[in-house]
Amino acid sequence: MRHFPFGVSGVVMNAQGLLRPVRAALLPLLSILTALIVGGVIIWLAGPKLNGDWLGVKFVLDGYAGLFQGAFGSQKAIISTLVRATPYIFAGLAVALAFRCGLFNIGAEGQLALGALFAGGVGFSLHGLPPLIHLPLTLLAGMLGGFLWGMIPGILKARTGAHEVITTIMLNYIAAQLTGYLLNGPWKDPNPNNVTAQTPKIAEAAHLPLLLPGLHWGVILAFLAAIAVWFFLWKTTWGFEIRTVGANAAAARCAGINVSRNIVLAMGLSGMLAGLAGAVQVAGVNYRTILGFNAGYGFDSIAIALLGRNTPLGVVLSALLFGGLRNGATLMQFRTQISSDIISVIQALILIFIAAEQIIRWIYRVRVPSGLSEQVTLSKGWGKS
Amino acid sequence: MTRGRFLFIIATIIGLIAVAVLLRTKDVPPEIVAASVLATTLRFATPITLGAIAGLYCERSGVVNIAIEGMMLAAAFGAWSAAAVTQSLAIGLLAGILTGMLMGLLHAWLSVTFRVDQIVSGTVINILAIGLTGFLDSQVLSKAHLNSAGLLPQLPIPVLSELPVLGPIFRQQPIAWVSVIVVVISHYVLFYTRWGLRTRAVGENPRAADTVGISVRKMRYANVLIGAGIAGLGGAYFTLEAVPSFEILITNGRGFIALAAMIFGGWTPFGAWAAALLFGAANALQINAQQFGIPIPSQFVGMFPYLLTIIILAGVIGRAVPPAADGVPYETE
Amino acid sequence: MRKSLYAMLLLFALVLPLLAACGGGTAAQPTAAVAPPTAAVEAPTAMVEAPTAMVEAPTAAPEATAAPEATAMPEATAATSGTGTIKIGMVTDIAKLGDKGFNDSAWEGVQQAAKALGVEPKVIETTDPNDYQKNLDQFISEGYNVIVTVGFNLQEATVAAAKANPDIKFIGVDQAQTDVIPNLAGLIFNEDQAGYLAGVLAASVSKSGKIGAILGTDAVPAVWRFGEGYRAGAISIKPDISVQTVYHNDVGFDKTFSDPEWGKTTALSMIDQGVDVVFGAGGRTGNGALLAAADRKDKGVYAIGVDTDQYLTVPEAKAVLITSAVKIIPDGVAKLIQTVADGTFKGGNNFGTVGLAPFHDLDSQVPADLKTKLTDIQKQLLDGTLKTNVPAAKPGS
Repeated sequence: MRHFPFGVSGVVMNAQGLLRPVRAALLPLLSILTALIVGGVIIWLAGPKLNGDWLGVKFVLDGYAGLFQGAFGSQKAIISTLVRATPYIFAGLAVALAFRCGLFNIGAEGQLALGALFAGGVGFSLHGLPPLIHLPLTLLAGMLGGFLWGMIPGILKARTGAHEVITTIMLNYIAAQLTGYLLNGPWKDPNPNNVTAQTPKIAEAAHLPLLLPGLHWGVILAFLAAIAVWFFLWKTTWGFEIRTVGANAAAARCAGINVSRNIVLAMGLSGMLAGLAGAVQVAGVNYRTILGFNAGYGFDSIAIALLGRNTPLGVVLSALLFGGLRNGATLMQFRTQISSDIISVIQALILIFIAAEQIIRWIYRVRVPSGLSEQVTLSKGWGKS
Repeated sequence: MTRGRFLFIIATIIGLIAVAVLLRTKDVPPEIVAASVLATTLRFATPITLGAIAGLYCERSGVVNIAIEGMMLAAAFGAWSAAAVTQSLAIGLLAGILTGMLMGLLHAWLSVTFRVDQIVSGTVINILAIGLTGFLDSQVLSKAHLNSAGLLPQLPIPVLSELPVLGPIFRQQPIAWVSVIVVVISHYVLFYTRWGLRTRAVGENPRAADTVGISVRKMRYANVLIGAGIAGLGGAYFTLEAVPSFEILITNGRGFIALAAMIFGGWTPFGAWAAALLFGAANALQINAQQFGIPIPSQFVGMFPYLLTIIILAGVIGRAVPPAADGVPYETE
Repeated sequence: MRKSLYAMLLLFALVLPLLAACGGGTAAQPTAAVAPPTAAVEAPTAMVEAPTAMVEAPTAAPEATAAPEATAMPEATAATSGTGTIKIGMVTDIAKLGDKGFNDSAWEGVQQAAKALGVEPKVIETTDPNDYQKNLDQFISEGYNVIVTVGFNLQEATVAAAKANPDIKFIGVDQAQTDVIPNLAGLIFNEDQAGYLAGVLAASVSKSGKIGAILGTDAVPAVWRFGEGYRAGAISIKPDISVQTVYHNDVGFDKTFSDPEWGKTTALSMIDQGVDVVFGAGGRTGNGALLAAADRKDKGVYAIGVDTDQYLTVPEAKAVLITSAVKIIPDGVAKLIQTVADGTFKGGNNFGTVGLAPFHDLDSQVPADLKTKLTDIQKQLLDGTLKTNVPAAKPGS
């Protein structure tokens, strides 16, 4: 039996005092806390150390204060965090959905890029349409782009057994090259003032309206998407089939479920969500497709899905956390000149502690009862399973 | 790796070189162009070869390794820093290998001992490597104003490097030579020694190997460490042999191309080497095309290795058969 | 009971930072003084006599709808600012500091000006292209008076910020202004002229009749102009010369200018095929080309650097570096910041000085008549009698 520690684990409590959601969130929260502590140690090592105030600890605390203030400390910061978190929510949902089917979608970055490409294309090439038509069209185009890019590895896996990890990584690079070609060439903004690799601005009618100054409606869409994913996975037959395939593909097959079709569907939907992330960035933030805007979303979204235990609520919360961390890093760097790369380190540490939860359990003496974990089976190796 | 596929790769490489020669501007003799393209191919291929062989050891023993990129990046950083601090290239080289092994240790620890999913473990290492090297580079390295220890000297092969046209090909630096030696040695070790047999057994059918008394855990740890050490060497190439400075993300995705090369090469040393050369040749062609003023959009050539890998995986040009137990954490009953 | 209490305490510990965030207000001042990296670049001296006043912009800026009026820069005055402490900030592009060229020289100019004014400048290195606006806002919200943004990628964000904050002065390095915004000065250079001079030199000293250039990307006009100017200058000396230009277009912006290994391999490919003068014009990628030339020094290969006098910044290439096509950024930036302090700041385009760096170790290999020719050509380029005929940006697809 394969051990895959992304399930929901309970904590043995003698008192019934704790609510179940709190219990479920305990390990992730402890992972975050531990990661922050270890991150703090690394910052301390690179900082003034024993020469500084309070033996250098103040430096670390200043850094973290800046980090959290920059993330959540003012209305402006919170708005900024929400905007930053929006694509993370979509991409995290994408990865989580794929995981639920036992698939490892590392291609969120490429699917996002295709989504942005399609959305930008529809956005700037059509004119004169009313917002009621143009905006949904733009978003749908993005979803289509991501869907196609996600479907390719899905089909390859279903038909030939080609492992989606490699195919999605390859497709990421291909997407980057394709985008580079289009944005430097045929789709480049022909305006003589423009020298950047980007499309022309999309039509006004394709903009996502603003909820508040600086906050576009994409945030609401993200939350709606989370609810939709929850509903799809847990309240529909399709979702049930996908989850069954994820839990045990062989058993699913015996039960008459068409495993191949579900794999393709799951990858396609996953790509669609990632594509929507790109589309929302185009329609809500940049108002055009810019080369390289999607850097870094790939790995981040994997971390978010895993931290969120592949549940929509978990993904939303994790996305907010990561969005906040990335956002707050600027203020941290401004105040203390601590490089924002530390966020990646903290991210990796969170992942380590999540993945190897035995470490956390050992540190904090948390016990796990047997049989409460929900197992998700990942495909093995690269070839046909 | 079937003979057919191997020949196909070699033929493609020759074909790419031929295309370059055909495209040349008329004032350069064809043999000069051919030799130059070959030399460029070898240069590009060195880190990819090392990365692919690194992945090979891990995967042959049943541990999926998508962290080659992270291992090389961390090693590049470690190698340069150590060399700069001690002003000794030898120490830098050692440090690079050790850094790679350290990352490998983490990977093995997470995936063999904790039985964490190997892809997650690999992802973790990649993120960790990117974050740590970036952080240490901005916080420590750029403020320390270290001087590089220079580059590894060229080691020309005595007679061959004097040849009129082919000479430049035989004037390479140490790690480039080592990469070729590693390919040959790995082939021998993997297929002609008991160690290799045990490794492959553990990768194909760990249960059976266990019953015969082979320690699955020890073999996997050992192979991951060896592979990571080789990846470390590949990382050292970037900062000790190619350029005397560390840049963030200096590996620039080469680790993933190495992964592709390994798969493309059918999990065999010579196959991986051939694939690495193929990818190197494609890159060389793209550069030469620009030199000759031919407007091939560089992005199309850039896509080439990735498209090829997908095609291979899809079984269009033969199947890609991994070790049977690749990716499956082993549980002793 | 104990376990749940323990767990609650831990959860509480997690919430604490959030409280700290909401506590908001002033954070304690960081005790470590911000120590920006000091650029190792000395103030470069143009080999050819550069005019001390900045050059007037030609009235017809190509492809601009409204020709902005460039102003002649005033002489740098001694620090006379009595208008209170001035806060100077700089935002880099994602290539960050430590590039031994572009960003570093802008920072050097900022530091120069700040020192003269007796203040400490601050820098934010952008790591994510989505952050340009945010990084600018950081300075704006902290009440900075002068913000320097480096690189044309930041142009859009700078223009927007300048329009929204008319009281703050902005300086955009390598950002050609098409409309005149009173509080935004674009510091631009005639890279094609510097490239032209480099090309003339290259064509004159090349023995094989083949020269090459390793460049970042043709999507950046400044870089493209260096390359095309190089080509034009070379052709003017030897019409049938072979000029090979290779751009590192196959990677994203984050790697285009920071891939010295690619630069070196590509330059070696050129050198192996007979090129004997290599022009490295692409940030750190270009530096790789200089290293390749150094590697093949026994073949008598020359290298030409870019942006700053790379003799000082890439010492490994000293033996083969014959010159660099420089744009004197530090001076330009410093002077513009000075105008803010004096109150003489004018928006629009300001042209900086370009030229060739001294020949240093290879001085003896440049014949006297070539030196004279270069001086003459520079004069003609400056007064407009000689034109490079290189457009402002690569013609669209």
